[in-house]
Amino acid sequence: MRVFLQIILLSCISLTAWANEAALEKVDVETDSKSIERGAEAMIGSCHSCHSMEYIHYRDLLNFGMDKQKVETWRGDQPLDAPVLAQMAENDAMGAFGKVPPDLSLMVKARDGGPNYLYSYLLGYYAKPDGTLSNHIYPETKMPDVLGVSSIAEGASHTEVQGQARDIVSFLAWVSDPHEAERLRLGYYVIAYLLVLTTLLYFVKKQIWSKLK
Amino acid sequence: MPERIIEWIDQRFPFTSFIKHDLTGYPTPRNLSYWWNFGFLAGIVLVLQVATGIFLAMHYKADISLSFDSIQHIMRDVNYGWLLRYMHAVGASAFFFVIFVHMARTLYYGSFRAPRELMWWTGQGLLLLLMATAFMGYLLPWGQMSFWGATVITNLFRATPFFGDQVVVWLRGDYTVGDATLTRFFSLHYLMPFIIFAAVGIHLVALHTVKSSNPSGINLADKDNIPFHPYFTIKDLYGLGIFLIVYSVFVFFIPNSLIEPANNIPANPMQTPNHIVPEWYFLPFYAILRSVPNMVGGVLAMGLSVMIFAFMPFLDRSRIPGGARYRPYYKLQFYLFIVDMFILGYVGYVPPTPETIVIGQIATLCYFGSFFLIPFISKAEEAWLIKRGLPPEVIELIEKETRDKEERKLKRLRRQGDIA
Amino acid sequence: MSNTSSEALSEQLGDGNRRDFLIKVTSVVGGAGVAAACVPFVASMNPSSDVLAKAETEVDIGGIPEGGVRTVAWQGKPVFIVHRTAEQIKSVSTTANTLDPVPDETRVQRPEWLVVVGVCTHMGCVPNKEGLGWTCHCHGSQYDDSGRVVRGPAPKNLEVPPYHFVADNKIIIGKTA
Repeated sequence: MRVFLQIILLSCISLTAWANEAALEKVDVETDSKSIERGAEAMIGSCHSCHSMEYIHYRDLLNFGMDKQKVETWRGDQPLDAPVLAQMAENDAMGAFGKVPPDLSLMVKARDGGPNYLYSYLLGYYAKPDGTLSNHIYPETKMPDVLGVSSIAEGASHTEVQGQARDIVSFLAWVSDPHEAERLRLGYYVIAYLLVLTTLLYFVKKQIWSKLK
Repeated sequence: MPERIIEWIDQRFPFTSFIKHDLTGYPTPRNLSYWWNFGFLAGIVLVLQVATGIFLAMHYKADISLSFDSIQHIMRDVNYGWLLRYMHAVGASAFFFVIFVHMARTLYYGSFRAPRELMWWTGQGLLLLLMATAFMGYLLPWGQMSFWGATVITNLFRATPFFGDQVVVWLRGDYTVGDATLTRFFSLHYLMPFIIFAAVGIHLVALHTVKSSNPSGINLADKDNIPFHPYFTIKDLYGLGIFLIVYSVFVFFIPNSLIEPANNIPANPMQTPNHIVPEWYFLPFYAILRSVPNMVGGVLAMGLSVMIFAFMPFLDRSRIPGGARYRPYYKLQFYLFIVDMFILGYVGYVPPTPETIVIGQIATLCYFGSFFLIPFISKAEEAWLIKRGLPPEVIELIEKETRDKEERKLKRLRRQGDIA
Repeated sequence: MSNTSSEALSEQLGDGNRRDFLIKVTSVVGGAGVAAACVPFVASMNPSSDVLAKAETEVDIGGIPEGGVRTVAWQGKPVFIVHRTAEQIKSVSTTANTLDPVPDETRVQRPEWLVVVGVCTHMGCVPNKEGLGWTCHCHGSQYDDSGRVVRGPAPKNLEVPPYHFVADNKIIIGKTA
């Protein structure tokens, strides 16, 4: 018994052995349409010059309720059904960065820590002593510091870039899981219904079994 | 009018007699605890998986250039497609959870012992079918984890003597996991659940022949059996309600907790993810596989770790009836085994380090050790318990079984003509 | 729960109106849940949102010259868009000779543009444009330049799909304004 307890204790200690990833900043993902729309503007305005979101179509943005005029401007002469592809061709991206910028349709789900990861990544740029830029979360990144985090003066406020990062992450969270709001809403009704039904079943069970001598 | 219809059917089909024999008149021990609900729950999860699976298959495309996209189509465009997908993914984990509890109940209460050995073995077959179905289903989304998990596990068949390499190529239909593999896995994943249905039928026929065991492990008197319907139909339904609440919490609120982040990235044969890890229900067996430094040894150990359960009816040599209730050492062994499974699961999950490898090896030795020690421990425990004094009903049962055994031996010898 | 089981229940356990009521309520609640659970399965078979998006097709008609016809796909079917000449418009101003008389004005939004589904109302073949109107080579049906049937065996005129003009040179097929 003692040996087993020691083994279990050892296991718990070794858990800390590989917690060597940088600590992630927590972000409250906004689910209101205003924040998501702001994030969409930032994404389609700047980010999608390099990044595609191939599983989102312009009609999805309309169905979500984004401003019709904005969607029309964004899609230009592409049909409503078209996916939101990157403006930069893959070859050009390879030449400029050495890597094709990844598709962002599922990025929130594809990283451990989800929105916290992306938020910390966007805000994680810093200037190294030799002047080049690096990122706390993903040092090997080829992506430039789009929010200009590394050039914020010492002691200056980070609130604006934090707000921008939060909007972008909120939009990307919606992109990864467009039906989340509906899923949660339906979930409350289903759990409530099941609680009622299970309670009823409990009383029927009690009643039927009470007849046993 | 309904009575006339039933009469018409009864003249042509044993409908009413079936209902009477197997439901309203089927004797079930009245002391069954809620641990006996899990067989029914497994049946329900099977139905759920087949229903969601069939409707998912209306939209899924089993082609490597289309499969990942088709899953996104289901999640985004198909009405309630997201719900079907999450139900199916959570359902797979729910299935294994229910089956593991069902197996644990059987081990704890000794329900695998005579005359229920065939129930245990049909159950063993069902477990293997379930594992195969789950493994093949996991390839279908064609994510990074799907691809690399299938690559690693199909590679293990290289351990086959003489034909190892050819077996792997034959399994995959290609030199690597590719389109041929995906389409055949889809075909078999669709087929296996129906084989499982048939095997469940056999499992239930065996059950209705020997009837349920019960927590005391001793055959109850006839007066202590009650009809399955309505007592256990309602108890099963109530248990189902509780199960559905837990299941729905996962489906609606934390569905992505069971989907590896790396599987949201399309399969890339050129790049292995940092951390290949199977679904939680395969972790202990995966840990055992990795514990043995030799590849063939690892495969054999993993295979044995699943199959060794089949030997339980022979390994447990105690004449004390039932399971852990009257047997403190068996009970301790059972709990230690559960702890060991959790340790193995943890070892299977984390990336291997020198410390975790050693822990895994010790845990693997304990795993097999438990089985190999049962014959000795069970006999020693029996002697100790008899010396300590057993409850009268237990003594009576042991004596009766010894008498029955002697009777059967005498009958056999007389038939063979060895004695008069 | 069927009648037989609740009868057997009463026999076994004696009577009890309250018990019956509780079982009835639970059965109704349970049944409602089962019915509700079927909805996502049935609904998933309905057209998905990408299919519904194709329910409307935008067409640029600016490039079609007078007298010209263009065929576009809408919901998987061919749609004929005709930029009618004055002569063609005059030829359809009377309903004489048509088997299903309908004034031409009711079949077009602007007289110089005819938009009809190019599927013969007989057995579903695609008719060919021939001179004034169309001929279907499967069984010989003929239509005029308003898409009205003038010779059978087709029973009805070519279907006019819902459409509307978003600009002088652009229409959306699939929805009226």
